[in-house]
Amino acid sequence: MTMSFSAPLVKIQSLHKSYGPHIQVLKGLDIEMKPGERVVVIGPSGGGKSTLLRVMMGLEKIDSGSISFGGKPYISSESADRKTEIDTEVRRSIGMVFQHYTLFPHLSVIQNLILAPCKVRGESRASATKRAQALLERFGLGAKANAYPAQLSGGQKQRVAIARALMLDPKLMLFDEVTSALDPELVAEVEQVILQLAAQSMPMMIVTHDMWFAKNIASRVIFCAGGVVVEDGPPEQVLGAPKEERTRDFIDRVFHIRH
Amino acid sequence: MGYSFDFQSVSFGPLWEGLIVTLELTVAANLIGVVLGFPLALLIMSRFAPVRLPAMLFVEFFRCTPAIVQIVWFFYCVPMLFNVFLGSMTMGILALGLNLMAFNAEAYRAAIQAVPREQLDAGIALGLNPLQRTLYIVLPTAVRASIPVLLTNGIGIFQQTALVAIVAVQDLMYQAKSLATETYRPIETFTIVALVYFAVSFPVSQVVGFLERRRQLMMS
Amino acid sequence: MALDFSIILRFQEALALGLWTTVKLTLICVVLGCSLGFFIGLARTSRSTLLRAVSSVYVEFFRGTPVLVQLFWIFFCLPLILGVELSNLTSGVIALTLYMGAITSETFRASLKSIGPEQLDACVALGLPRRVQVTNVILPQAVLRAIPTLLSNCVSLFKESALVSAVGMADLMFVGQNISNNTARPIEVLTVVALIYFLIAFPLTRAVTLVERRVLAKLAI
Repeated sequence: MTMSFSAPLVKIQSLHKSYGPHIQVLKGLDIEMKPGERVVVIGPSGGGKSTLLRVMMGLEKIDSGSISFGGKPYISSESADRKTEIDTEVRRSIGMVFQHYTLFPHLSVIQNLILAPCKVRGESRASATKRAQALLERFGLGAKANAYPAQLSGGQKQRVAIARALMLDPKLMLFDEVTSALDPELVAEVEQVILQLAAQSMPMMIVTHDMWFAKNIASRVIFCAGGVVVEDGPPEQVLGAPKEERTRDFIDRVFHIRH
Repeated sequence: MGYSFDFQSVSFGPLWEGLIVTLELTVAANLIGVVLGFPLALLIMSRFAPVRLPAMLFVEFFRCTPAIVQIVWFFYCVPMLFNVFLGSMTMGILALGLNLMAFNAEAYRAAIQAVPREQLDAGIALGLNPLQRTLYIVLPTAVRASIPVLLTNGIGIFQQTALVAIVAVQDLMYQAKSLATETYRPIETFTIVALVYFAVSFPVSQVVGFLERRRQLMMS
Repeated sequence: MALDFSIILRFQEALALGLWTTVKLTLICVVLGCSLGFFIGLARTSRSTLLRAVSSVYVEFFRGTPVLVQLFWIFFCLPLILGVELSNLTSGVIALTLYMGAITSETFRASLKSIGPEQLDACVALGLPRRVQVTNVILPQAVLRAIPTLLSNCVSLFKESALVSAVGMADLMFVGQNISNNTARPIEVLTVVALIYFLIAFPLTRAVTLVERRVLAKLAI
């Protein structure tokens, strides 16, 4: 794939999405993400943040708009019949981690990790297991390879979920409120793993309520409310000195509650 | 297929009489099961082993043996053991009633154990004594929660009443058997009888389904 | 009156044969009934209206009528309709398999429904093809979740199998009743018959609790 350096990694164009006839969640989103960027999406609940990530992963149908990845459109709904077209080949270069871990409860940790590589790419069991074990070691989970998800703490489960997504060598990672379900003392271990990925310049889009984490990891912050992008800029601006009134209100309230 | 259908030769008089007997058995057994199942549930949850163990044995015995064995046992053995001779209808009601009592006791036990701990704490905080807590907190909550299972068990016993035909109680099934033999019309007779049982069971099971869906909606 | 349980010893072999028939009948119908139930469970959750309608009518009808009536129908009516003689064992197997299929289909349906949508999200996010989603993620979880209820279904089937005595199949109940009639010792014989059923069914019901606590708790399914 030839791609000039400045070409966007992800290009989202006038994305519309509604649930039923009355609830519009995304009202024409336009976002461009450059390679190597770490975009944190913040905003009030119901503002469309999680829906955005779910749409990018192809988990939700859209009303209209398109998303391209590495210059290739892979999700679109342009035709009159409003059918959402998804290019699954392109989609496979994107990994996603969810709020509620979504590990497969009947499979051990290592089996969770090797299922997709073996079944999707036809990788051999031995090679996948070797890679999986190495990944687990790196995330401090080497001893848990044969445990079942129910035997792990929330933080461990979430780290396994991240490792599982990484097994497919994604070119972009989506994190959907991955620390929201965790006990406070377990949040750091998961955030450490994500920071580790950031240090290796993995492009990522993160939805989070944790403003401290947002500040630490973001190369860019997008404030999303009412289904549109309200403010978009470097973290110092959006989190520190927002230009928009709605952003300022939100940031003030979040930090007010915190302290 | 050399069988020609003839639904005309099935006389509905005996079937109607049989259905009445079946319904009487069902209602009477349900009265026993619904009323006495609750105290039995309290017994199997007792902290005192001499109370709990016999009650548990009673419940498990009825739940873990075939109903037909229980009924036949009842009809042959109770008169001999206790030297009492009850009418076959009374025997049928007792056998089915005790069976249902055991199943309902389990339903009540599950429902009682599902009464949230905070409810009882609130009762203690309000100064209710154990009897009052049982009557005013546990009983209403547990009974409401157990209604779907009680209905399912009740309809189950309606179907089990067919077993008393084997010991010559003249219920719907018994009438069907004699009619099928007299008229040589087994297909018509047994099909009609199956439809009659179905016509009673199905609406009740639909009600149970509705109650459960509503409950799930309210809980979610 | 004096009870004399030693009378049972004289009929050991007959009772053992009857028990064997009961166990054999139950095992055959467990295997056939569970397989039938699984496909009916799938059919009831299928997108095809026809499949859903047909399977629903079957399940509701078998759940809504006494097993004894089903048994009589299959023993006396099915041979007339098919125009062939069916052996007692065949009729018994057909009747109890259809009964087991109906109750286990509900078990499978409930377990399929209990697998949350987030499991499918994870499958999509990992790019798993539909076939892999079904065989490696949905099916194993559905079966694991169904196991406790399936065991209860097996106990029900084992108990209902005693009904075949009413149509002259020589199972444990039938043999017991014959001995009881011939010896005029119903208390001893019928109590022992009941005990035999109990000694098999009771441990099975305990196994249900054990499976729930050990296996399923370990997997938190």
